[in-house]
Amino acid sequence: MAIDYKHKKILIVDDFSSFRRLMVRMLESLGAKDIDDAYSGDSAIQKMESKAYDIVMCDYNLGHDKKDGQQILEEAKHRGLIRYSSIFVMLTAENTMPMVMGAVEYQPDDYLIKPISKEMVTMRLEKILKRKTDFEDIETAVRNKEYLRAITLCDERAINIPRYMLEYLRLKGDLCITIGRYDEAAAVFEKVLSMREISWAKMGMGKVHFHKGEYLKAKDMFKSVLDDNKTYMEAYDWLAKALQELEALDEAQKVLLTAIGISPKAILRHQTIGDISGKIGDYDAAEEAFKSAIAIGKHSCFKSPSYYTGLAKTMIKKDSPDEALQVLNSARNEFKGNIEAMFQTVSMEGIVYKGMNRKEDARKTIQEATRLLEKLSGKVPMEATMDLARVCFDLGEKEKGMQFMQNIVRNNHDNDKVLAMVQGVFKDSQLEEEGAKVITTTKNEVIKLNNEGVSLIEEGKLEDAIEYFEKAAKGLPESKIINANAAQALMMYMQKSGTNEKYLYTASQYLDRIKSIDPSYDKYQKLLNLYEKVAGSSKKPDA
Amino acid sequence: MDKTERLVDFPAFLASMAHDMKNSLSMLLNTLDEVVGTCTSEKCPSHRHLSQMQYEATRVNFNLIQLLTLYKMDRDQFSINISHYPVSELIEEIALQNRPLLDYKGIEILNECPDDLTWFMDSNLISGVINNILNNAYRYTKSRILIRANEINGWLVLSIEDDGQGYPEEMLGTGVQKGSGVSFKTGSTGLGLYFASMVVKLHKNKDREGFISISNGGEYGGGCFTLTLP
Repeated sequence: MAIDYKHKKILIVDDFSSFRRLMVRMLESLGAKDIDDAYSGDSAIQKMESKAYDIVMCDYNLGHDKKDGQQILEEAKHRGLIRYSSIFVMLTAENTMPMVMGAVEYQPDDYLIKPISKEMVTMRLEKILKRKTDFEDIETAVRNKEYLRAITLCDERAINIPRYMLEYLRLKGDLCITIGRYDEAAAVFEKVLSMREISWAKMGMGKVHFHKGEYLKAKDMFKSVLDDNKTYMEAYDWLAKALQELEALDEAQKVLLTAIGISPKAILRHQTIGDISGKIGDYDAAEEAFKSAIAIGKHSCFKSPSYYTGLAKTMIKKDSPDEALQVLNSARNEFKGNIEAMFQTVSMEGIVYKGMNRKEDARKTIQEATRLLEKLSGKVPMEATMDLARVCFDLGEKEKGMQFMQNIVRNNHDNDKVLAMVQGVFKDSQLEEEGAKVITTTKNEVIKLNNEGVSLIEEGKLEDAIEYFEKAAKGLPESKIINANAAQALMMYMQKSGTNEKYLYTASQYLDRIKSIDPSYDKYQKLLNLYEKVAGSSKKPDA
Repeated sequence: MDKTERLVDFPAFLASMAHDMKNSLSMLLNTLDEVVGTCTSEKCPSHRHLSQMQYEATRVNFNLIQLLTLYKMDRDQFSINISHYPVSELIEEIALQNRPLLDYKGIEILNECPDDLTWFMDSNLISGVINNILNNAYRYTKSRILIRANEINGWLVLSIEDDGQGYPEEMLGTGVQKGSGVSFKTGSTGLGLYFASMVVKLHKNKDREGFISISNGGEYGGGCFTLTLP
């Protein structure tokens, strides 16, 4: 499959100008006309923001203390700056890449080791292009959230195209995990493992165990991945997750510290270390971890207020409330205009003031947080809300605190884990009994709310039901059952009166929400089937 | 205190040196590539020299790659990255990489590998090994190199045969496996085989691990290098 370079938009990223010039000349000799180059990660991102490149060839090592190629790739993918059809090739000086094993979704299409000859470039790019073409319809299905269709395609291909068999199996396994079909995923990974003890299949198997709550088995699996391959970074993170579930926090911390030693730039990992360290009272480690996260965040698209609130929380524990306030103040500057981040920051300020016994300031922060919360649409940061409620209870503003807690219960009335956390807050504030009552009445409210909507469906008043659940889901964006019924009402309507793009899209949004909360939810599995039936019939009007 | 303490971490120092040298060498090789591309043997009297330079620089590059890889293995910083790879494609790719030099010397490469043969391997490492063997063959081969790959009893058997003089007698035998063929006095040939044996040994599956062997004779009557992977 020869590539016509004439119309390809190409970006070369390397910190050495001589190498960039060389690459430009090489690509020009292949017929390319539209070639840009960038000397740093920031300038590369800037260029990608204003132009949709077809091919990006990016050096991994862009200088000490600078954004590296992997970070560029992650940011570009995260922000949608490169499309699925674009090619991203990582250039390296060595064949012993220390940190290639990031998460699958952030892997480049290929690695090329310098020196790179013209023949090599042509051959690899053609291969990548062919591969992309071969996987195109599966990727399209995934993008359209037709996961079942994507899985069927994987099954067919694994048989018909044996050279890609393993890749199709891997894709299928991962998809099955995404939509909560853990047994099906296990079967895929088992099949692969019977052929070869290959790391990603062990990894997949470990994830299946984890999702099924078999944490001991999961732990062993992830450990075995790391025995084979010490730079499989994802395995450290999952091992730590399993250890956390097993309440082996010290060990989890150790595992993540090892991982940071190998790959120091993983920002989320620093945050997790901070959280775990805080829980086991290792405040020095927590402080260091959050500070690292903040420092790396300056170069990353993954910056988050939780590094700041985490650091502030740690500074409280270290008896340095003034420093905590300072940290939160810099968060206020960093996240200006971001309501959710402001809410988290302000809630933490409330805690600091409470600890300093500055009650008046604490009350002010509650007011500010309440205003912010009203403006917040969609997902409400749960942890910050709970923190805020604690402050309220402590200051004797019980009603306000209850209001915050109710909001959480409403959104999670069928999530036992969250409800247990809620109970914990009530218990800490000596409101156990009253809290239990609030939980029960709130739960009942939601059930009643849901039932009324369901009867609309049962009476066949589908348009009313759609409207009803749309409103309900707006108020309860994290309730599984409400989102599920909202999606169901839409799909039943489409089954009866024909599909339309808008409804199909809205339904897929509801389904996505459930997927991110709990993909193994029974009703989600049934709705997935229904969704693809409805979506499929929209493409074949005669069927 | 004593001498060992003053030379902080000599191997690490060596490795980062090698890394830096490799960067320069990459530039050198790429530039040479361009220069060679603009001159043909008929028109350009220095073509022969340029080819020789290309060959030697490539050789240094392969050596540095080996050095860095062995360093990482020694430091336990190395992880093998196994995937399911089409063998024929791998051979094609390597042949393509080596073609300019081999063409110049009039050496022909034959690829005898079934199209649908795929195998579990770290393709970067294995192509490093094969590149290295070809690079040596360039020195010793007269006119033909045959790369053959097949599945035999659940193993991948890949051999590289040439029509040169073959391996010297003292290299044949068991030494290859254990790396005792490495003699720092006689040059790097042993080092290359040592590297190859380390690489194939990392390829393991269910109690089986890869191995290499060398012999003389084969179809062309020259040297024959074989790597066998589970």
